[in-house]
Amino acid sequence: MDKAYLILLFPLLSFVVGGIFLNKKPKAAAGFSIAMAALSLASALMVAFDWWSVVSALPEGGASKAIVPWAINWLPLADNFSIGLSIYLDPISVMMLVVITVIALLVNIYSVGYLRGDSGFPRFFAELSLFAFSMLGLVSAGNLFQMFIFWELVGVSSYLLIGFWYHKPSAVAASKKAFIITRFADSFFLLGIVLISYYTGSFEFSVLNTLETAAKLATPVNLGLFSASALTIGTLFVFAGGWGKSAMFPLHVWLPDAMEGPTPVSSIIHSATMVVAGVYLTARMFPLFASAADTLQVVEFVGALTAIFAAIIACTQKDIKRILAFSTLSQLGYMMFSLGTSYIGPGVVNELGYSASMFHVFSHAFFKCMLFLGAGALIHAVHSNDLDQMGGLRKKMPFTFASMLLATIAIAGIPPLSGFWSKDEILVAAWQSQSYVVFGVGLVTGGLTAFYMFRMFFLAFFGKSRAHAHHDFHGHDKHPQQHHEIHEDPWMTVPIVLLTIPTVFAGFFSKGIFERIFKPNMVVPAGEFAHATWIPYAATFMGVLGVGIAWFLYGQSKAHIAKALNTEGRPAWYRVVMNKFYFDEVYLWITRKLIIGFAAEAMKVFDHLVDTCVDLSATFTQLGGRATRALQSGALPLYIGLTLFGILFIRYLGHLPL
Amino acid sequence: MSIPLLLPDILLLGLGVMILALDLARVKASLVWNVAWMGLIAVLVVLNLIPAGWDRAWFGGNWNLSNFGLLMREFFILSALVTTLLARSNFVRGEEGFGPMRYKPEFLAALIFVTFGAITVVSSKDLLTLFVGLELATIPLYFLVAWNKENAKASEAATKFVLLGSTSTATMLFGMSYLYGFAGSLRFANIGEAVASSPTSPLLWIAVLFLTAGIGFKLTLFPFHSWAPDVYDGASTPITAFLSVSSKATAISFLIIMVYGPLAAIQVQLQPLLILLSAATMTVGNLGAMKQTRLRRFMAWSSIAQAGYILAALTGPAMSARSSVVFYLFTYAFSNYLVFFIASLVSDRREQTFASLTGLSRQKPWLGAALAIGLFSLAGIPPVAGFVGKFMLFGSAAKAGHFAFLIFVGVNTVIGLYCYLQVLKAGWVDTGEEAQEEANKNLRLSFTEGASITLLTLLVLGAGIAPWLGNNIAAVLQYGP
Repeated sequence: MDKAYLILLFPLLSFVVGGIFLNKKPKAAAGFSIAMAALSLASALMVAFDWWSVVSALPEGGASKAIVPWAINWLPLADNFSIGLSIYLDPISVMMLVVITVIALLVNIYSVGYLRGDSGFPRFFAELSLFAFSMLGLVSAGNLFQMFIFWELVGVSSYLLIGFWYHKPSAVAASKKAFIITRFADSFFLLGIVLISYYTGSFEFSVLNTLETAAKLATPVNLGLFSASALTIGTLFVFAGGWGKSAMFPLHVWLPDAMEGPTPVSSIIHSATMVVAGVYLTARMFPLFASAADTLQVVEFVGALTAIFAAIIACTQKDIKRILAFSTLSQLGYMMFSLGTSYIGPGVVNELGYSASMFHVFSHAFFKCMLFLGAGALIHAVHSNDLDQMGGLRKKMPFTFASMLLATIAIAGIPPLSGFWSKDEILVAAWQSQSYVVFGVGLVTGGLTAFYMFRMFFLAFFGKSRAHAHHDFHGHDKHPQQHHEIHEDPWMTVPIVLLTIPTVFAGFFSKGIFERIFKPNMVVPAGEFAHATWIPYAATFMGVLGVGIAWFLYGQSKAHIAKALNTEGRPAWYRVVMNKFYFDEVYLWITRKLIIGFAAEAMKVFDHLVDTCVDLSATFTQLGGRATRALQSGALPLYIGLTLFGILFIRYLGHLPL
Repeated sequence: MSIPLLLPDILLLGLGVMILALDLARVKASLVWNVAWMGLIAVLVVLNLIPAGWDRAWFGGNWNLSNFGLLMREFFILSALVTTLLARSNFVRGEEGFGPMRYKPEFLAALIFVTFGAITVVSSKDLLTLFVGLELATIPLYFLVAWNKENAKASEAATKFVLLGSTSTATMLFGMSYLYGFAGSLRFANIGEAVASSPTSPLLWIAVLFLTAGIGFKLTLFPFHSWAPDVYDGASTPITAFLSVSSKATAISFLIIMVYGPLAAIQVQLQPLLILLSAATMTVGNLGAMKQTRLRRFMAWSSIAQAGYILAALTGPAMSARSSVVFYLFTYAFSNYLVFFIASLVSDRREQTFASLTGLSRQKPWLGAALAIGLFSLAGIPPVAGFVGKFMLFGSAAKAGHFAFLIFVGVNTVIGLYCYLQVLKAGWVDTGEEAQEEANKNLRLSFTEGASITLLTLLVLGAGIAPWLGNNIAAVLQYGP
């Protein structure tokens, strides 16, 4: 286990070597990257195994399951205050290490098929490795500062990957949008780190995640407009980082746009790993959050809102990657509110909420990754993201069809596939914690999820082929090489088929492990709850109902597909939903009109002022002599005027005791 | 015994004089250039041999060697060294279509005298030395800005610089005379006692008002910043870089010396003023940087915003403000010079605009990567140096509990990021100007440029990840201010 850093080292090596030496050798770059991803997976499995053998020997309850196999002192800021680098292994980080390395390996393999012939082929693998390295570093970080650095590296690498096709203006815009929105949230995260470390004197999770630390943070902080305890403000700020990274409402606008990146990127970053970082951060700091009732309330509210809101939007979209993006948002909402609802009292939590959230992270990662890879295969086949161009692909792509059927059933929450188990636990936990409204939201969202996922599924695979209805391929995520026949590429099919294994089994077989091991450290559990046995039946019923409606509208042979796909002549409420509640437009208006507009106006005034000065002074230097005397008196007052303005500015706004 | 401690200062002054003497002896200009950079390295080496922990004064107590002064000496000499290296190409091939500049020895000597002026500022123990140092660090800059006589814009910039510079000097002198009138002494120690005994005297606060206005000009604080974009744009690239690094560092050292020295007793009352100036300056800088197309002009606005960030640290306690500012200045200098080196490189025969970066990442991927690293550092993205620096600056402000202000700063860094991404986009994404791309394909780096860019890139990467810089600063400052 003391070689745990190898998990990170292999992808880093792949990035450095691949980026520098294999730039012109596509085959070698892909091979090297896949080999490194495999080695990384092997070391992750070995570490997980070692960790398990140590932890399973520990007595039940109380004892911390966190192990730090490697640590160094990095930046000594003061005698008793320094920043370290360490690897922190506890249930959630070990779980994430395994999930990330598995998915990174499969996506690496898949990308060989998906990007074959692309001019940026070697670059893609280098950037993918950088991403894997950053994400692995994020989950294994032993302190907040280290986590923040990897957190930002994840941001940088996703910026590179979303903008991978930088000749597409939409891709460049999307990458910039993603980077800036997450950075906006991260600046609060950084402030939260500064605040918490200032009051506690430490960055280490092992110190932060204790009730004593929470007590230390009870001092009030004044924020000018209002004041609250350092605990509430600090945890809220930290959560703000996760808010942006996990694309929670209303900072969600970057995620659908991020689908401009190649599909393997969407698969690994925007479903399985990076967007989970926000949930992971909340879970990582959970013992601290558990003392901050207000923060968890926010987490719960934001999560539930995102869950249902994204699900409603997903019902009206036609771009399959966007449908999946919104479904990711919705599922992230589940994970978030599950963490939020587990609050019972200060420091007292319903452990099931925590473990259910992590369980859903685990099962969702596999089936969502596979859904994206399958979607990529469809896009690859028909050269379009649009459901308008699909239909009837069942016969032509049998493996993709069968695998995606399983994944769609899994996400719809129908037993016995993996999604059912984790979603059921989340609902049970919400019911137990008496968050009945959130429970209702979860239940309804479950029905909606089944509906929109099967809507996509039926429209893509059933009915007649619509592939040549339009020839408008512009602006779509299409492969540069044109294939004229629809077929399946084995490099792409194999990872998809492999992912059916966890999609089917990850739920049933790991339920027990999650309930037993995945408990937040050092928090008082709330004791036993009555198990509401009717919840699974209700959840399944909602799922089946959603599937049934989808079948009736889109699946059966008499369904009016053309009418279903028609976007014209819809009622106003439908257009509002289809346009994602006009969030992007509002943001765009704010940034364009207000910020940039204000800047432009301010600059005009300033430029005018400065230009006047410059023009006058230029004339002054050129002419010289008597004629300039008048002009000089015209120029100098402007200069001095500005200085005078400055003095008055300081005098009246600088709070001087004059 | 104590004279060797003054050796670096004496050597630096001697180096300036020697360069002028060599010119009189009609030595070849390239040799003079070699003498200059080697001499600066020698001074740096001698400086590093001086152990920390001295707090000693000479010449009737007017010249002082403090630990902070020691660190700033290293900084100023390093900055002069890099500028010397950067200036080489201006004398060899010229830039932006202008021919090579002339009078190299005088140029180098002036640069060294400015540096000596900056060192005088950090050595001062009384207002008079401080003022003389500040002027010595400014006056040669007036004509350094106008050095390229072919360029009308440079003359225009210099005129503007002189006019506003003298106004600000007058303002500052006015403030200093009030301070003298208030305390009855020029010595910092006596002024400090007077301030502590009557901290609300109107005389004192009038002095503070005018001193702030005066130094606001040099530090390009809002609303005294208006000269910077024009002057930076008009001057040649090495002088612009030097202005944005050394001149700014001189001004911030002045503020640190004043705020934590004679004015220490009223630092708490000064905090609202510092917050106001810092917040306004970074906002104006970032908004101004948004719509630029010329690189030097963009860097001027960027450096205005950076001045706002640096000022934020001064709202915190003395120790953390000193160490974080010194650390940040080093990281800022590395990143800024790195960007200026690349800007100078692409403008050998072309206008220095965003468009001249077109295709840099495709034609010269290494330069593209270096540009990205420099810009990420200026924007404060981990793990490069600028991030750690910013973290420390804001940590200093956090120590005084200004969290609402820090939220504002955080939002500002996001706007800043947007601006830096515009430059990055020009170098990495934009296509279109075939001629520019072709020109970038034919870029030839001299050995000096290649070595400097490589070293600076490594420093930007290393200072963020390796702990040596922070450790050294902490080790020196542990002996006191």
